[in-house]
Amino acid sequence: MTGTDDRGMAPANRLAVLDKLYEGKAKILHRTEDPGVLLVEYKDDATALDGLKKGSIEKKGWYNAEISAFFFRYLASRGAKSHFIASAGERRHLVRAVEILPIEVVVRNVAAGSLSRRLGLEEGLELPFPLVEFYYKNDFLHDPFITRGHALALGLANEDDLDELERQALQINKLLKEVLTIAGIRLVDFKLEFGRRDGGIVLADEISPDTCRFWDAGSGARLDKDRFRRDMGDEAWAYAEVYRRLSALNVSDSDDALATGSAAADSQGGAAWRTTWQAAVEVRLKPGVLDPQGVAVSGALRANGFDGLDGVRVGKLIEVALTAASRAEAEVTLKEMCRRLLANPVIETYRFTLSSTSSSASTSPSASAGLSSGSASGVISGEGAPA
Amino acid sequence: MRVAVVVFPGSNCDRDCHWALNNIAGVSAELVWHAARGLGGFDAVVLPGGFSYGDYLRAGAIARYAPVMGEVAAFARRGGPVLGICNGFQILLEAGLLPGAMLKNRTLTFRCRPSFVRVESAGTPFTASLEEGRVLSVPIAHAEGNYFAEPDVLARLEDEGRVVFRYCDRNGRATAEANPNGSAHNIAGIAGELGNVVGMMPHPERASDALLGSTDGLEIFQSLLAWWTGLGKQSAAAAGGQA
Repeated sequence: MTGTDDRGMAPANRLAVLDKLYEGKAKILHRTEDPGVLLVEYKDDATALDGLKKGSIEKKGWYNAEISAFFFRYLASRGAKSHFIASAGERRHLVRAVEILPIEVVVRNVAAGSLSRRLGLEEGLELPFPLVEFYYKNDFLHDPFITRGHALALGLANEDDLDELERQALQINKLLKEVLTIAGIRLVDFKLEFGRRDGGIVLADEISPDTCRFWDAGSGARLDKDRFRRDMGDEAWAYAEVYRRLSALNVSDSDDALATGSAAADSQGGAAWRTTWQAAVEVRLKPGVLDPQGVAVSGALRANGFDGLDGVRVGKLIEVALTAASRAEAEVTLKEMCRRLLANPVIETYRFTLSSTSSSASTSPSASAGLSSGSASGVISGEGAPA
Repeated sequence: MRVAVVVFPGSNCDRDCHWALNNIAGVSAELVWHAARGLGGFDAVVLPGGFSYGDYLRAGAIARYAPVMGEVAAFARRGGPVLGICNGFQILLEAGLLPGAMLKNRTLTFRCRPSFVRVESAGTPFTASLEEGRVLSVPIAHAEGNYFAEPDVLARLEDEGRVVFRYCDRNGRATAEANPNGSAHNIAGIAGELGNVVGMMPHPERASDALLGSTDGLEIFQSLLAWWTGLGKQSAAAAGGQA
């Protein structure tokens, strides 16, 4: 995934950005001086339930841009072309201008959401084969489910187009499942949009937790926008977690393919500038929570003649080594580790110090903003005391 | 009635629970490995005691992320009866299926001894046949049974009648002396908001066979069966119907 530094970028990334072409629920499209190229900006805004529920998820746009870029590069390296050209700084992609087809293509591997509601299938039921569904992209009609016949009758596409959409959708499904399995993510279902360009049909829009159902392969935890739709909480965490897992994948063996699959400008995509962080996590019982160990140790110290003792509390020190793209990412990940497992927020608080142990970051031309803003050996700390 | 007894790496009361349920209480119990992905066909779930994952980090902290726990949570949400015993209780707390947390025993010792608990609520499948105020003799065996929750949480548990068992003396008095571990309000067991999820530190499976000195624990399993067979049968079917 790419950083903000534009040194070494190809001319495509220096295209002047012109006026806003369109603003949607999750993204803004800008024209550039090249009529064949658009700039997509990912927003934090989130809507659900056909626009009834509105909100914003912290850093969602940033994560979605990175996650989509990862998938587009990965798919390109496996022969599945898309409109994606390159990342162009934080939250931004340069993409080929395409004529978007008014058909949303949904692929389902597991029953969930509207399929479960419509057909009374239990969420989580593995389908015998991937289902491809078409929806008519029409806000006024609330994007209704349509059959092939409907699509033909409405003149949205011809038979060949529909075959091609289905073929590409199934191929993309197969490729995404392969990489997501490695990341410990179950690909439940996802929505794709396609566009016409030079007589062909190419993948467009985005592939992110906004458009996919991702479930943790182990716990079944939702790692997608369902957390927002269903008021499950921790939305921001879900996006960060998907990003973290994809970032951790070693895709270096296909870096060449990744680079040729998109613009040369984007050849920095990969793991070369990722770095290792050492974290020391201290977990303490909250003040006021009885600490029987501390009481016992205190007694033993007194028995050893330490009369001036004012109290002893026993906590834990947990050392974690992790790989992350930036200090900020390492911090987000650590906070999640603490919140989910290392500390119990009912009785404990945590803080951690974080230091980099690798210098590879500072020598990379595409080091991200998080790394370039401080000394690589610096120490920062995070703290949390969930209410 | 089919009851799943979940086996985590480090569970050690799984066989006892299985035996007591199958051979004494007369339900059909099956051991279910923690990696299981489904609980289809089961009418109740028991998380047994032991030392899942060596109690590393905190008792129950790692087991709560076992694959089966997603299913247990879904089962509980549908209203299915779930009983966590000892380490099973700790797992339910860590999983957030019950409120609060366990601290180390105030005595700092592992308490393995007979104990008396008073039935505080008959509003759960596991106590529906028991009389409130009844004193049961059921043994405990734990190092972390010192129940803790913030004052507002404790107040809610009390107000909503969700304290299910309280440590007491043989005469039913919940005194400080009768509290084996320092637990807040002498709490030995609590229920979730719907009443279908119950966690308790004492081991009913160890008080199911007269040979072991008490059959008071057996009544908890029998209550579950009676609840399911009787009035509860309909609601259990409704809960299972969505599965």
